[in-house]
Amino acid sequence: MNPEFQRNLWLEASPRRIAWAGVVLLLIYGAAITLTRSNPYGALPALGGVGAVVFVVCAMIWGARASGNSILTEIADRTWDFQRLSALKPWAMTWGKLFGGASLAWLCGLTGLLMMVIAGLSGRVTGLATTAVFMLALAVLLQAISLGAALIGVRKARAEGRTARASGVLGGLIIGAILLSWVAGSAGFQRGMGTEGFGALFTANGLVDWGGRLWSAAAFRAVALTLFAAWAVIGAWRLMRLELQMQNAPVIWPAFLIFLAIFAGGFVLRTQGFAASLAVGSLVVALSAYAAAFAEPADRVRIRQFAHFAAKGDLARAAPLTPAPLAPLLIATLLVLGAFAAPTGSLMTPELGQAGALIAFLLRDLGVIALCRMGERPQRGDFSAVVALGLLYGVGGSIGWAVGQETGGALFAPLANAPLISLASGLAQAAVVWVLAAKRIGINAPPSAPASVPAT
Amino acid sequence: MTAAPMIDVRGVVYDYPTARALHGVSFTVEAGAVLAMVGPNGAGKTTLLRCMAALDNPTEGEIIVAGLDTRGDPRGVHAAIGYLPDFFGLYEELSVRRALTYAARSRGMSPGETPRAVEEAAARVQLTDRLEMRAGELSRGLKQRLAIAQTIVHRPRVLLLDEPAAGLDPEARRALSDLILRLAGEGMTIVVSSHILAELEDYSTRMLMIRDGAVAGGGVVAAGSGARHGLQVAVAFADPPQDLPERLAAIGVTLERHDGEEVVLLAPEGEDDAALLARLIGAGLKVRSFQPVRRTLEDAYLAEVAR
Repeated sequence: MNPEFQRNLWLEASPRRIAWAGVVLLLIYGAAITLTRSNPYGALPALGGVGAVVFVVCAMIWGARASGNSILTEIADRTWDFQRLSALKPWAMTWGKLFGGASLAWLCGLTGLLMMVIAGLSGRVTGLATTAVFMLALAVLLQAISLGAALIGVRKARAEGRTARASGVLGGLIIGAILLSWVAGSAGFQRGMGTEGFGALFTANGLVDWGGRLWSAAAFRAVALTLFAAWAVIGAWRLMRLELQMQNAPVIWPAFLIFLAIFAGGFVLRTQGFAASLAVGSLVVALSAYAAAFAEPADRVRIRQFAHFAAKGDLARAAPLTPAPLAPLLIATLLVLGAFAAPTGSLMTPELGQAGALIAFLLRDLGVIALCRMGERPQRGDFSAVVALGLLYGVGGSIGWAVGQETGGALFAPLANAPLISLASGLAQAAVVWVLAAKRIGINAPPSAPASVPAT
Repeated sequence: MTAAPMIDVRGVVYDYPTARALHGVSFTVEAGAVLAMVGPNGAGKTTLLRCMAALDNPTEGEIIVAGLDTRGDPRGVHAAIGYLPDFFGLYEELSVRRALTYAARSRGMSPGETPRAVEEAAARVQLTDRLEMRAGELSRGLKQRLAIAQTIVHRPRVLLLDEPAAGLDPEARRALSDLILRLAGEGMTIVVSSHILAELEDYSTRMLMIRDGAVAGGGVVAAGSGARHGLQVAVAFADPPQDLPERLAAIGVTLERHDGEEVVLLAPEGEDDAALLARLIGAGLKVRSFQPVRRTLEDAYLAEVAR
């Protein structure tokens, strides 16, 4: 047996803990039976509902927390280095933690799923298998995101000289949920924005328009969640490789971004055409660039090494050091250029300026994030970057609008009504910000230069 | 042809995001040595040990441990070494047996050989009678022993210990010294970092001083008990014969060097002062003075500081 899985079973699913969990579950299911004894349809429908809730609470919420804690507890208990020194393969470590850390949560959750399936079968509920697959995939997705967020938190904390905290994982989960909600709400299920879209994931009915044809919403939802769960597990595995001092070639991350672009773009292909698909894809990939910029450890030594090896043409050594936002920046640029060129088959379209403005502002924002995070106190960098972007878009945009309406506003945001102004302003700001960021990183300093050079 | 060193550190530079911790550190450690890595707090000892353990990658330079590059084959290095950090943790809810079983299995031992390795490791640190106790129930000293047992259960070739005696009482320190001597006697290469010289005295055969992230003094020098290199004695002979080296060699004693009117002799490991003196006289040598040389780690440290 995988030693990491076995150790987690010893700790998480000891006979005593299983016995206590069994007692609690018996009380819950017993209470459901007692409360519904007068129900003419019997207790099974209620048990099915309670089972679904038990699965959500145990496998999704408790399980996600347990998966993240399987890393954070090691940090807090000072056993993480001991684990990093093991001979376990990254994949064994990943699944050992993912399913071992949440083993008791899975055991409890699966009793709920079993109740739900039994109730569904007795009530001849249609689409039961699809629902079960969806719920299982969502549980795996949340647990893998939690594990990945913890691993990202550990890497960031190490680079920033602070202790990894659970709040980082929680924040990552909330942001992930909001982004998921946003994507699902805006493109997938046409149910509006924000949490409405997130709710649509649970209640999807009818048909989904994707890839030029209509699909059963329930089946589409199950397949999509399964694919995302697989990507989340792969992501956790890649992050685990880094923690175990192995190097990652920049292959899986770009592959995921392309998948993401295809997934998001597929929702508008039939109704709005190929160009719109590319535009939606570029939007989602651009959002990933922001996420990557914040998830990357604030380590200017690493960036300096990347620049040094890349400048020398030593791609073998530069590739594993590639900053994570670079791939989404390049892919988003290609997609947005493609989106504007697709209708005419030429890049020389009137919309080229608008495409360029979008990319210029993305470039500027990544520069702002780099500038804020690569300072002498990187632990404050994330917050500073959020504030700086908020000021640029919020306050700057408001002032610009007040002064010159759309023309003024276009100075601070990529607006379609004044694309060339946006392009020129975005490029100028990006240039200024990146010059400052490069100076702060010491991009031209050789790797042999002390880390503190340049100091500010 | 000389054998390759067990640890070869070449020009290691390590940068934290805002500060440089190591400035081109280079040294080698031969197989079987017990190296005391000394230096004040904040000198860079822990950072260097973490790089040697392939837990952190140097910004520049190269580290070869047991023939493996820490950057090129970090997992191979992990399997070849045992590393005990200064602030270690244990799985307090696991029994000692399960903690050791996990350590052995996670370091690549097969299920078949694990139970025996667990028993052996427990016996080495005298925890055999506590195998079924929870780790959390052990005293500070016993936890230290368990942590060391976890690092040696897979029989590593290199053992890296960072401030291993911190917080231990005198009795536990003595037990730790005995254990390190036993492991060194079995051929393990050991690097022990500390800023307290006295605790390294009993078992170190070599010393490396680190200061401000760089090697201070003359690199790796002989130091400490010297037990593994035999007994050193300063002897003055009245009317020394011309064939002194040959006559000494005939009784198994090496003439290391001349020191004024004295010569420094090296007798085999385990040699007794009195027995050596008797053998010298028995060989017809007129001994005028006889003084065993005991160069303490502090002597070596101060000598290196003065360089």
